Amino acid sequence: MTKLLEWLFGVSLVLAAWAVVSFDLLKLRLPQSYREAAWPMPLYLLVSFGCYSLGTVGYRVATFNDCDEASAELLGQIQEAKQDLRKKGLKI
Amino acid sequence: MSLVVFSLLLFTYYSVWVIILPFMDSDHILHTYFLPREYSVILPGIAAVILLLCIGAFTAVIMWKNRKPKKVD
Repeated sequence: MTKLLEWLFGVSLVLAAWAVVSFDLLKLRLPQSYREAAWPMPLYLLVSFGCYSLGTVGYRVATFNDCDEASAELLGQIQEAKQDLRKKGLKI
Repeated sequence: MSLVVFSLLLFTYYSVWVIILPFMDSDHILHTYFLPREYSVILPGIAAVILLLCIGAFTAVIMWKNRKPKKVD
């Protein structure tokens, strides 16, 4: 059983459960409020996944550390490279 | 940080709208803060369409700028 087949099987199980609850396919006659809460579930999961992605990106951008040592090292290397190239005749 | 706050607010509002409101009585005051339930499906649909439009427009602009004219011998 490949991973793709496993995922498809799991997804179709979840979809079947959702369809049974939303459209009353087994004539279970659940209370109306449960059906009302269940039928937007795929869209709700998509929206919450989007919110989670957005929040994670925002959090990691906000807590990204400055690398002062690396910045100083890089500036020094740029100066070195410029001097080296000037010696070899390139006009900077 | 504002992005984190915005996504938390959006998640909370949407969760209350979709999951909690159906279990409240129709005359509960909370219902006045939320649109009718059809909009909980329509608005994310419109947002998805707008997102796809923006991505497509951005791609088209970039590809248009990078077109090279054919060389003439």
